[in-house]
Amino acid sequence: MSTLRTAWLIAKKDLRIESRSGEILITTCFFAVLIAVLTSLSFYIDDTNTRIMAPGVLWLSLAFSGVLAMSRSWAREREEGVMRALLLSPSSRAGIYLGKALGAFVFLCIVETLLLPLVALLFHIDLLPVIGRLVSLLLLGTFAFVAAGTLFSAMSVRTRARELMLSVVLFPLIAPALLAGVVATREVLGGGPMSETIAWMRILGAFDLAFLGAGLALFDSLLSE
Amino acid sequence: MDFDIVKAVGLTKLYGPTRALAGVDITLRAGTITSIEGPNGSGKSTLVNILSLIMRPSRGDVRYGELTAKDNAEEIRKRLGLLSHSAMLYPDLTGRENLTLFGSLYALDNIEKRIEDAIARFETKSFLDRPVRTYSRGQTQRIALSRALLHTPRLLLLDEPTTGLDEASQARFVSAVREEKARGAIIVLVTHDDALATSLADVRVRLERGRLAESVIEAKSA
Repeated sequence: MSTLRTAWLIAKKDLRIESRSGEILITTCFFAVLIAVLTSLSFYIDDTNTRIMAPGVLWLSLAFSGVLAMSRSWAREREEGVMRALLLSPSSRAGIYLGKALGAFVFLCIVETLLLPLVALLFHIDLLPVIGRLVSLLLLGTFAFVAAGTLFSAMSVRTRARELMLSVVLFPLIAPALLAGVVATREVLGGGPMSETIAWMRILGAFDLAFLGAGLALFDSLLSE
Repeated sequence: MDFDIVKAVGLTKLYGPTRALAGVDITLRAGTITSIEGPNGSGKSTLVNILSLIMRPSRGDVRYGELTAKDNAEEIRKRLGLLSHSAMLYPDLTGRENLTLFGSLYALDNIEKRIEDAIARFETKSFLDRPVRTYSRGQTQRIALSRALLHTPRLLLLDEPTTGLDEASQARFVSAVREEKARGAIIVLVTHDDALATSLADVRVRLERGRLAESVIEAKSA
């Protein structure tokens, strides 16, 4: 069975389950909104600091809610020992990894469609002139996040303190990508030139490739006992 | 390439300082049911996990006919079936969706036909299109058995499969296992249930502290 076919089957299964339960999307969206609203209330916002703070709020909301989404998505594989059935099958391990990452990517993209306008509203940002560049940065950053997160979420399937383990391992690893996303977003909101945005996109793209390559190479080893 | 014999030699599994298996040698043959018995922590599930390629042994090797886990993992996995005490099914999908998903992951031809055959064999039509989480224990196990047998496995591993089943469900399970034996499958039954092992097994093996307790190995005519 080809890697892409396996990935499609796994992602389709995740989306089908989610379309019935809504569990991951509801909790993740609620958590992301909560972080954005609470942080906006925690700081005094004026015209000078709003563009500095909004990127951090946006990316941190996304990162924290993303951990929640991936953790819950993998919890479904633990339930009833179904992960054992997946590992028993002849399907490609890389395909399982890609499928789980694709599912998480779709979940987080849906969260972003809610989060981005909300952050713009809370921090008085006019999105229209920069929406294309912001969405591109978010897509690249989200992919880096799920590529690394899926790898370590899979590892946490076999760990006892799994939610804690995932956060402790994942956040230091994705910190450079997260930082790149925050700085790039700040530059875009501050009216930086397109060439600068493209440079940040290249950096995020490099993180995407690095995390994806690591995931494809290490996934099988991390799942094997 | 099908295999008629599975031969494990010197299987040892270490979890840190703990030795779950200590040099286990076992041979499993086609058309034979081998029961593996023993107390909790004796290494039964570890042995099943190694035979099913979910786990790698720290030392030792398993050969599936001419195939080895190192070189032919995908080929071997196509021929493995595992039924456990946990359902190994997605609770939010229906039984049919679970069977279709696993049939697709095994890249099976005629998945619909195979599912229809399984429906007829295990009488699951009345509940197959409901989510698995609404099933009784017996219904869940029938779908789990359908999943485990959907690809007609050569090596069928049964890890405490009758836990929580009522008498009718156990009888259905025993009948299905006998049919698989008649088909020529290599069957391993891990159980605490002495009566079940007595009624089904051709070869009985006991594990104690990761070692085969040779004094209690017994056999009956296959």
